[in-house]
Amino acid sequence: MVFFFQNLVNALQWGSFYAMIALGYSMVYSILMLFNFAHGDIFMVGAYIGFGVATALVTLSASGFLALPGWMILVLTILLSMFLTSFVGMIVERVGYRPLRDAPRASAAITGLMIGIMLETGNLILLGARRVSFPPLIESVTYNVGGVFVTNKKIMIVLISLGFMLALHLFVQKTRYGMAMRAMAFDYVVVPLLGIPINTIARLTFAIGSALAAVAGILFGLAYPVLDPYMGIVFGWKAFVAAILGGRGSIMGATLAGFLMGFIEIFVAMVFPSTLRDLIAYSIILLILVFRPHGFFGEPYSARLRL
Amino acid sequence: MALLEIRHMTHYFGGLRAVHDYNLDIEPGQVRGLIGPNGAGKTTIFNLITGIHRPGEGRILLDGEELVGRQPHEIAARGLGRTFQDLRLWRHMTVLDHVKMARYSKIGYGLVGAFFSTPRRNREEAQIEEKARELLEMMNISHLADQMVPNLPYGAQRRVEMARALSTEPKILFLDEPTAGMNPEELIQMMGIIRRVREQLGLAIFLIEHRLKMVMELCEIIQTLVFGEVIAEGPPDDIKNNPAVIEAYLGKEIVE
Amino acid sequence: MVEMNDAHAMKTKGARGRLRRFFSGIPVLGWLLGALVAVVLEHYLGDPLVDRIGLDKIPVLFGAVIILKKPLMIPGAAVFLLLIYVIPIAVVARAGKTLSNRLAGALMRFPIAVPALVHLGLLYGAIHIWSDVSAYRVLTLKLTFVAIMLTLSLNVINGYMGEFSCSHPGFMALGAYGASVFTVLLFSSDRLFGDPLLPEALGPFLFPAGLIFGGLIASLGALVIAIPSFRTRGDYLAIISLAFLFIVKSMIENLEFVGGPRGLSGQPNYANLPTVFIWTVLCVWIINNFVRSTLGKALNAVRDDEVAADAMTVNTRRTKMVAFMFAAFWAGVAGGIYAHVLRYVNPGTFGIQKLAEVLAMVYFGGLNSVYGSITGAVSLSLLSEALRPLEIFKWIIIPLLLILVMIYRPTGLIAFREFDVRKVMQPKSNRDDEV
Repeated sequence: MVFFFQNLVNALQWGSFYAMIALGYSMVYSILMLFNFAHGDIFMVGAYIGFGVATALVTLSASGFLALPGWMILVLTILLSMFLTSFVGMIVERVGYRPLRDAPRASAAITGLMIGIMLETGNLILLGARRVSFPPLIESVTYNVGGVFVTNKKIMIVLISLGFMLALHLFVQKTRYGMAMRAMAFDYVVVPLLGIPINTIARLTFAIGSALAAVAGILFGLAYPVLDPYMGIVFGWKAFVAAILGGRGSIMGATLAGFLMGFIEIFVAMVFPSTLRDLIAYSIILLILVFRPHGFFGEPYSARLRL
Repeated sequence: MALLEIRHMTHYFGGLRAVHDYNLDIEPGQVRGLIGPNGAGKTTIFNLITGIHRPGEGRILLDGEELVGRQPHEIAARGLGRTFQDLRLWRHMTVLDHVKMARYSKIGYGLVGAFFSTPRRNREEAQIEEKARELLEMMNISHLADQMVPNLPYGAQRRVEMARALSTEPKILFLDEPTAGMNPEELIQMMGIIRRVREQLGLAIFLIEHRLKMVMELCEIIQTLVFGEVIAEGPPDDIKNNPAVIEAYLGKEIVE
Repeated sequence: MVEMNDAHAMKTKGARGRLRRFFSGIPVLGWLLGALVAVVLEHYLGDPLVDRIGLDKIPVLFGAVIILKKPLMIPGAAVFLLLIYVIPIAVVARAGKTLSNRLAGALMRFPIAVPALVHLGLLYGAIHIWSDVSAYRVLTLKLTFVAIMLTLSLNVINGYMGEFSCSHPGFMALGAYGASVFTVLLFSSDRLFGDPLLPEALGPFLFPAGLIFGGLIASLGALVIAIPSFRTRGDYLAIISLAFLFIVKSMIENLEFVGGPRGLSGQPNYANLPTVFIWTVLCVWIINNFVRSTLGKALNAVRDDEVAADAMTVNTRRTKMVAFMFAAFWAGVAGGIYAHVLRYVNPGTFGIQKLAEVLAMVYFGGLNSVYGSITGAVSLSLLSEALRPLEIFKWIIIPLLLILVMIYRPTGLIAFREFDVRKVMQPKSNRDDEV
């Protein structure tokens, strides 16, 4: 039982990463009907930007010029990285997606893949093939709750993720821009009626999705402080699968499916040898999709789909 | 026994009753019409008969053979050809390929022929093409054979769809609002085509139409559908004078 | 159409128009003869010429390495290319125009197989002599041929049927491992499988059986995707296929009897250039036959409107099943050949990167088009080799190029065009070649 709860804690943390990334996929999908295949790599870029910002702040702090406590650095890192990474998202939208809005969807998928490759390569060119390690920022404290070991970082990661998801939910439900987003997900045509240009909404969607990916990147860096240029591939594709599993375009679904993904992975690894993790995890997902072909919250299949 | 016999067909979408206790007999060569206000379930009846939806209750017999539960392509191959209200052409295919494609069920060369270009395949493809060109000729669109359909004017697209439906060699042709969105000139041409199809090929036709003038002129027997139920059935003159029909449907359109 | 083309040719002014008119009306046969002359020239005169103009060896891939790495040698390479390739091909093709047209006309009077085989023979001759210069050229060619098979077979699903399948590297892996196990088990002594079961002399003759075996395994695997495709399409099917890819990869990593993550080696050297060429031709021929038949065009009907296809008697389930299994079969064959070209496979090869590569070739070349797939596979394979000296910057340039193509031609360079062998081989009247 203790073993189970231990894994539950791990799964929650692991699932937060997936859920945060899956949200980015899902938002872009609901609004543009396109998948942003570069999103996994935006997560990677976000983690690296976070690394850069954190390192700079830590250095600054150590030099005594601006003595900041660890948690302050973390907050600043998150905010600054969100801001910077959102620009990456907006550039991706402008270069790779806006020109292709009316093109076949597969073309936009290819563009996304290619932008992803360029981001990875760009990172390799800038920083070389070595892995970088994320500064610790806050001291790790481990609590023993009835035999289950919980670190303060894990709690923080889950709470921060949930906080951002709630914020996103409120944003989409309560603000004018959020309303425009929902309207656009429903129908392109009505958006100009709300007085907000489609391009603004698309840009905003990419910016928000990327900012969330940056948060996920930083939290990942806190938990597993080794970053490498290909980390986006592993996480990105799994989060993408989660986004679809949740039902395309559903924020709620993407969040739940992200956590589900984390649970499946952690619990598979708990029971089976870890080499079988992907095999079993994906088999489960395959089975879910075979028996529930539109994910959890998606609309049913209609034979009329754009090419 | 009628060519097509439908008995007590009822269907629900979720909790919503779309069609209730629907009955129909079509004799060979007969032209029948189905009218009714928007949302009455006319297209649903087509979709139920042609197998796109499976009716919840009831029987559909073609030549005494049960159709309920069969795949749409099997039903089509047994002799129910149809057109769609919203056209549903294949946008990356030529006009000729549309008409050839509808002979799918009659292809006998199989995968071996398709993969290896056997003499049998070449012979069959030549026959298919010849038949297809005859139909294009009949629809007066043979000059458009190599065009892609999205480039064609609307009236021509309707003709392509008609040729395609005929290419399945139906016993009964189901036409779902074949003149929707047409201008008066195209309308008259389409009526001519429907008459010609009937005379030359001796098909039975089942027609959904909005324009009453056309239904009245073409059909021998007309059913009126309101909220999924047939409220009147009979020859055009009876329907025209039936108070229930006038109330439910003609009331606003008789002015036309 | 003919008049329009002529009028068009008259209107194109300037050097390009003149050049185009000068070379118009040359049949494919003429160009092939020109290419043959050029490679023969290179074979016999290449080395002496290289000495004379101060290069250290024959530019192996049309001087790409030289241009990117040793700019000082560019003039030499240019002279070499001009003397060996450009001038001979141009002269032979242009001067032999009448002759080659008459020859092509004469050939076309025979059953279609005769001119086809003559053209292929000439093509292979040119390729063979060209590849004789270095082992690197042979390898590049073999991998290019494999790429053609992969791209074309993926186009069957993604282009002709309009699904977004991500499982192609998985099919390829199944084929690669299937064929490898077949040949390694039967014909070579290996630490995993022990001594060969059959005399080695039989090997080359049974190699096709091995490839077909691999292809069939891939076909069986395709059922995992084909069956869900009856109920779902688009994004969900894409994910199912993606999951399938990860499952195959992970499964092979966990199968110790084929070497697990370390991979499987010891494939006998059966995949020589003629073998690879013949399989590629076979693949192109069969796929092209299929997609031009009414049975094959059912794929397009299912893609453009499934409901209408069903109502027009098209058996959509059978069509989907055939498309997936057929495409997977050729991906499997391509995988088998790939394994025997490199004589080593490991599961890591068949991941997301391979997927991006094949997808790129399909969408770059053009959807729903055999021409397009050949163009996409050849140009991206050669480009990837040519840019090798740029090292990592290659992975900036190629993606950038693809993004540009997607923006300006969203369906790819040569999309939705039929590949009519008869038209390709026909003699040309003296008019502008179709653009």
